[in-house]
Amino acid sequence: MQVGFIGLGLMGRPMALHLEKAGHTLHLWARRPQSLAPFAAVNATTHATPAEVAKHAEAVIVMVADAPDVEAVCLGEQGLATGAAPGLIVADMSTIAPDAARRIGMRLAERGIEFVDAPVSGGESGAINAALTIMAGGKPEVFEKLRPLFEKMGKSATLIGGSGAGQVAKACNQILTGVGVMAVAEAFNFARKSGVDPARVREALLGGFAYSKILENHGQRMLDRNFNPGFKAWMHQKDLRIVMEEAHRLGLMLPSAAATAQVFNAMVGCGMGENDSVAALKLLEKMSGPE
Amino acid sequence: MQVGFIGFGAMGGPMAEHLLRAGHALSVWSRRPESAAALVEQGAVRQASPAAVARHAGIVFTNVTGSADVEQLAFGAEGLAAGFVPGSLHVDFSTIAPAAARRIAERYAKQGVDFVDAPVSGGSGGAQNATLAIMWGGKAELAPRLRPLFDVLGKTIVHAGEAGAGQVAKACNQMVMVAAIEATAEAARLAAASGVDFSKVRAAMLGGSAGSRVLEVFGGRMALRDFAPGVEARLHHKDYALLMDEATRIGAALPVSAAVWQQLNALMGQGRGNNDSASLLRVLEACDGKGQAG
Repeated sequence: MQVGFIGLGLMGRPMALHLEKAGHTLHLWARRPQSLAPFAAVNATTHATPAEVAKHAEAVIVMVADAPDVEAVCLGEQGLATGAAPGLIVADMSTIAPDAARRIGMRLAERGIEFVDAPVSGGESGAINAALTIMAGGKPEVFEKLRPLFEKMGKSATLIGGSGAGQVAKACNQILTGVGVMAVAEAFNFARKSGVDPARVREALLGGFAYSKILENHGQRMLDRNFNPGFKAWMHQKDLRIVMEEAHRLGLMLPSAAATAQVFNAMVGCGMGENDSVAALKLLEKMSGPE
Repeated sequence: MQVGFIGFGAMGGPMAEHLLRAGHALSVWSRRPESAAALVEQGAVRQASPAAVARHAGIVFTNVTGSADVEQLAFGAEGLAAGFVPGSLHVDFSTIAPAAARRIAERYAKQGVDFVDAPVSGGSGGAQNATLAIMWGGKAELAPRLRPLFDVLGKTIVHAGEAGAGQVAKACNQMVMVAAIEATAEAARLAAASGVDFSKVRAAMLGGSAGSRVLEVFGGRMALRDFAPGVEARLHHKDYALLMDEATRIGAALPVSAAVWQQLNALMGQGRGNNDSASLLRVLEACDGKGQAG
């Protein structure tokens, strides 16, 4: 298949390479030319604009930072829409607001371009190991056409519902992981301040109802004082901003997510944005003083 | 003085009238002609576009809803920028994002036009009685031009700092005010749930350290269960989106504001956006299921 790929960062690069390894021909465009270097020796053609990518591809994967970037790539000057023939499929795997995804999908539909929002969970290691969880929103028949591509990048791909539904699922994912990390950090800080070893507490809790992957994995990293990303705090902050803006738009009360978002704000504000989210523990410790 | 004015809602209408009565020659424009009809009757001159207003007046006031409205008025087709000359001054009373205010000021600066963000506090009563608090951001040397005009509209005039500083001050104002409304609602809820008359609690508190304008005004409305606006809660809700977004942008933790924001979200979800913000009491009542009807 002729596959366009735009957004060759930490996540996008390994994802695109998986597709190439599976025998697909890549068509690439990148804002920064150095992003294209890892593709010099593989079956990939680089193009001068997203419009050129669209001309050569049957499906285009987009993996960029935020809604304005997705809009620029899809609908901007020399964007995908200006080069696409009707029937082109665009799969946006970035994390953006559900509302923005629906809007972009509608604008592309006006030009006969199919759009699927397909954000992922699993982080950089998930991308490298082709073990991402992909949650999609769009038409079933379009999703089925993308499935062979998704299967090369992830271990599961689920069609959640219509346009925007993938982003809603991702927002739910970010509520659970954000609040979950905070809950583990608070529990460990509580144990520490009470003079109890958090490692023993974790060990005990893993066998009970409080078991979670976050307690297991993120909790272990907190105990190891390993604050390297992982998933950077500023990215989690961005995702929670999307969640909170959507809650505002919907008239929806999210008290725990709101409190968590403030801790991420504080992490970014005090220069911990490049740390993993688990550095929330450091912030709580700093604010609560010694044992 | 030749003064322009655009935006005649519950706030802008009375503010424009005060300027007219103080003897200024007023040029006006409105999207819907009827919005400016009362002012035109009193002697204001209707212009065909914002650009025409800008050509007739060296200083133009605007009072609209959101960042996009202000930017459209300034830089849209036949916008103010098309009529301004170097040295002209645009003073915006709207509550918008500090970042948007700074962006507008920078864009105007390229053509030698000054921009002042001057959001106000005090509600429609404050606008009618010319008792508004005006907090403005922009170049300090503009103060002598602004002061005589501001004095006609308000009684507390504060230069908060450079462009955007007025909006930062307004964001702080909204945070403190709505958090106080929420605290008042929670006190009212605690009193009622304990079988104690909140109007008595309120009377006692007004004399002590917890006394505040919010306790007086919004607490009074809660005690009377009078939820007619006043301040429509949807406007406070809108302001919270601005200030929480700013907190994210600059990496500031606002834990109490974040909690208050969620109560406002619940209020909107319950369809009470057109009620007074005193309705935060009813959100609490709905929460614990022991609420009074209505």
